[in-house]
Amino acid sequence: MIAQQLINGVMLGSIYVLVGVSFTLAIGILNFLNFSIPGLFMIGGMVSWVLLTQGWHWAAAIGAALAAAALVSLAVEQLSYRRTRGADPEVPLVSSLGFLVLLENLVLVGVGSDQQTFPSLLGDFNFRIGGLVIGAAQAISLVLTFALVVGLSFVLGRTNLGRQIRAIAESRSTAVLLGVDVGRLVPKIFVLTALFTALGGVMFALSYLQVSPFMGEGVGFKGVAAMIIGGMGSVWGAVIGGLIIGLIEVGSIWAFGADTVNIAVYGSLLLLLILRPHGLFGKPAIREKL
Amino acid sequence: MSAILSVSDLTVAYGGVTALDGVSLSVEEGEIVTVLGANGAGKTTLLLGIMGAVPAMRGRIQFRDADLSRARPHTRLAKGLVLVPEGRQVLVSLTVEENLLLGAHLRRDRQAVRSEIAAIYERFPNLGQRRHTAAATLSGGEQQMVAIGRAMVARPQVLMLDEPSLGLSPLFVSKVFDLIQEMNRSGLTIVLVEQNTGKALSVAHSATVLELGKVAVAGPCDALRNDHRLLEAYLGGSAESSGDPQPMRVGSQ
Repeated sequence: MIAQQLINGVMLGSIYVLVGVSFTLAIGILNFLNFSIPGLFMIGGMVSWVLLTQGWHWAAAIGAALAAAALVSLAVEQLSYRRTRGADPEVPLVSSLGFLVLLENLVLVGVGSDQQTFPSLLGDFNFRIGGLVIGAAQAISLVLTFALVVGLSFVLGRTNLGRQIRAIAESRSTAVLLGVDVGRLVPKIFVLTALFTALGGVMFALSYLQVSPFMGEGVGFKGVAAMIIGGMGSVWGAVIGGLIIGLIEVGSIWAFGADTVNIAVYGSLLLLLILRPHGLFGKPAIREKL
Repeated sequence: MSAILSVSDLTVAYGGVTALDGVSLSVEEGEIVTVLGANGAGKTTLLLGIMGAVPAMRGRIQFRDADLSRARPHTRLAKGLVLVPEGRQVLVSLTVEENLLLGAHLRRDRQAVRSEIAAIYERFPNLGQRRHTAAATLSGGEQQMVAIGRAMVARPQVLMLDEPSLGLSPLFVSKVFDLIQEMNRSGLTIVLVEQNTGKALSVAHSATVLELGKVAVAGPCDALRNDHRLLEAYLGGSAESSGDPQPMRVGSQ
């Protein structure tokens, strides 16, 4: 029974991992706490739901949802981030928060505020290993999440592009002097965070079969929490943070019931920050960059 | 004239304060030009202006046949204008090797890059031994070698160095100046910003002295070295000690 809860927690956590990694990329590379990310998560889920109900093939619907999120993210880059560079860091933060509210309410005007049922693309298909039940959708999202994070980690750590991104993360002005084309790379980073987040939204919809204009908020805040638990700016820290939150959430439902979820998650976050203000893997002096 | 790089009338202002006021500089192919001046004279701004990293209000940057006045920094780097920036600016969260590879990020000939990096390790065994450690752990002198190596793998045609000897031990100061002369002998054109006036005048062919953002004096080093009064006037020191092991400091301190 405990093994089943652990598996459920890790699979739920994989959604938080995707969102937490997106926040980490935005803050680690761009020094931008990008609050449009929960909106991109919602776009991933809602756009694929709308297109599926209109009879689109699942692959086309998901592809279009990811593309929509990427476009919105580019708009955030142009309107929230680029325009406010040089201002206090709070300005783009508040501007991106405005984007989140705008996105949620645009979708609300389009399809209403009701929670919608997402079509079950995978049926009741699941794996049974020993006494454990693993839903197909959850298994796919877990595998996909890890493949993406490993791929991201490889790109950042081992490639020319990754070294350029890490140079921007450490010092944008030095990167410019070394001939890194920052103006061309930054929009790519926005697209990358949008794809990670929106895929999280699609996976959430596939796994839990529900979408709504506000589906990004709860998950988005837990994504921020995952990033902070991991120590702000470390990709693998965000992965561990996301999994820990998934486990705490499932564990608290199992032990105390659904009403205690947020108390358990945010109580643990608060406690952790009191004990370790820099998160589990953050370093006080030299902050690890990605 | 066979100027490889010519800067004319370059004017740069930061928030209303003019840092560089109509500066011109002509660099002949194969020479070492040193840019001297007290702190705040505009030396670093001149190099940043040549790289296109600060917006110029006015002026022209001509590199061989190309007008690069409007080009962005990465275009200028691709053409062969490469800077070893002030304070080295080695990326401390990257390893030694990653810093060197980053310098070559515009190149596609990976094999050649690998062998050039291997040659850097051979020349500086300390760097080779610590190629996979974070550059944060290196000494200032070692970081300067990484910064110069990182610039060299970008295949410069004009190498600009911004106070490469600043804050280094006497041993590394002479290593840096030896390296500059060695690179120049193999044909590389060099623009050297220095506060170590004596050393700079002893290796350079011509010099430009900046004062408050303007060119005060420019000419061949032989003439300037003998003009004590002039150097005293602009740099607050004497150039007699050009061969002196004690680096002559001007400006602050």
